[in-house]
Amino acid sequence: MKTVLVNCSPKKRFSASAYLAALQSFFLKGKKVTKNLRSKKDYTPVFEQLKDADSLVLCLPLYADGPPSHVSAFLEEAELFFLKNNLHPNLYCIANNGFIEGRQNEALMQVMENFCHRAGINWCGGVGIGGGVMLNITRIVFVIQTAIFFIQYIIGIIQTGLFLNTGLLYAFLQNAGLLLFFNSGVLFFLIRMGSAVNKCSVSGKHYTRILLPSFIFILIANIFFTLLSLFQGGLFRGWLKKK
Amino acid sequence: MKVILHDLDWQYSQRLLTKCDAIVEADGKYAPCKGCFGCWVKHPAECFIKDKLQTACRILGRADQLVIITKNLYGTYSTKIKNVMDRTIGTSTPLCVYRQREMHHTLRYGKHALLKVLVYGDITEREKATFIYMVKRNAVNDGYNKSEVLFFHSAAEAERAV
Ligand SMILES: Cc1cc2nc3c(=O)[nH]c(=O)nc-3n(C[C@H](O)[C@H](O)[C@H](O)COP(=O)(O)O)c2cc1C
Repeated sequence: MKTVLVNCSPKKRFSASAYLAALQSFFLKGKKVTKNLRSKKDYTPVFEQLKDADSLVLCLPLYADGPPSHVSAFLEEAELFFLKNNLHPNLYCIANNGFIEGRQNEALMQVMENFCHRAGINWCGGVGIGGGVMLNITRIVFVIQTAIFFIQYIIGIIQTGLFLNTGLLYAFLQNAGLLLFFNSGVLFFLIRMGSAVNKCSVSGKHYTRILLPSFIFILIANIFFTLLSLFQGGLFRGWLKKK
Repeated sequence: MKVILHDLDWQYSQRLLTKCDAIVEADGKYAPCKGCFGCWVKHPAECFIKDKLQTACRILGRADQLVIITKNLYGTYSTKIKNVMDRTIGTSTPLCVYRQREMHHTLRYGKHALLKVLVYGDITEREKATFIYMVKRNAVNDGYNKSEVLFFHSAAEAERAV
């Protein structure tokens, strides 16, 4: 069994799609290959891998309520590729969006289903994930937290000679648990979809999000964008003005 | 202001210009969005990519009426049109609010009156349903009070409906 995961984010580093592709890949059995799709030159390596694949998992961001235009361009080519080579793999889709409601990916999911009908491949469903940017930040925070924990742990050993620092461990586990909680909806649906991919079965469409109340999410998002605009300078260049 | 965004050739542009205040011709001669949010956080309402879409959001943002003429692609906009839409999110700001009980961005140019989408080319019933849903979603996201989708066999028929 072979699954090809395609990270369709145009970002080179730290994309939510890359994070979700890695998470999904973790729950897959058999041969798995992850490829990036950022421009036309990425088509051939993806098509090469698809020749003997059972399943394709597209991981993409939601742009203006649909697939980004470089993904539309890819789908047009992929339709021709599947028809010409008489290939009928299963398609699964992991879409993530900036707003908190995962359901805002519904139109994108329908487009993917329509694409499958045209290309003669099997639409097997997908997961639409709200709060993608923030979920992506949680994994970065987790890595930083883990690094800080190890540094403090080693300093603790040097200073006190004790190998078990329960206070430090407890604080670390508490923080990690919170991050895990935020991601638990995503984990649940990706484990479910992973098991469908492994069985080559239909998974259906599901929507989830970062597990935070939306008013808190909106507040955090506004603080995040204000700080980002402060550092990037946009705040002083007519940030909200008509241009 | 009435703005037309279309994926047809320059001859259509010439004729359509008599029916609107501004035209954006989606000829595909521009790069896709890189997802950097620079048009929000670094240089508001301006893309870092120096091509014909660099400040296109300033035209679309000022449209009271936006008419989009697009070929159907799986129940959504053609790649050329979608590219323009992705590159013009500077019509909104990075700040978020509730709109129709969902999270959306605030609008740099305020609310618009009408989003009219004229779709041409081969289309299935399922794709039609997707397109109608998609345009409704865009209207909420971009702050249009009303939206409308019409389907045509050919581009020429779509042109007549503007
Ligand atoms: C051009 C553009 C359009 C976007 N449109 C939407 C949208 O309509 N709804 C939404 O919830 N998020 C929207 N987003 C936010 C992205 O979906 C979000 O940043 C996502 O997490 C990016 O995923 P990535 O890191 O995998 O590229 C948009 C982002 C960009 C750059």
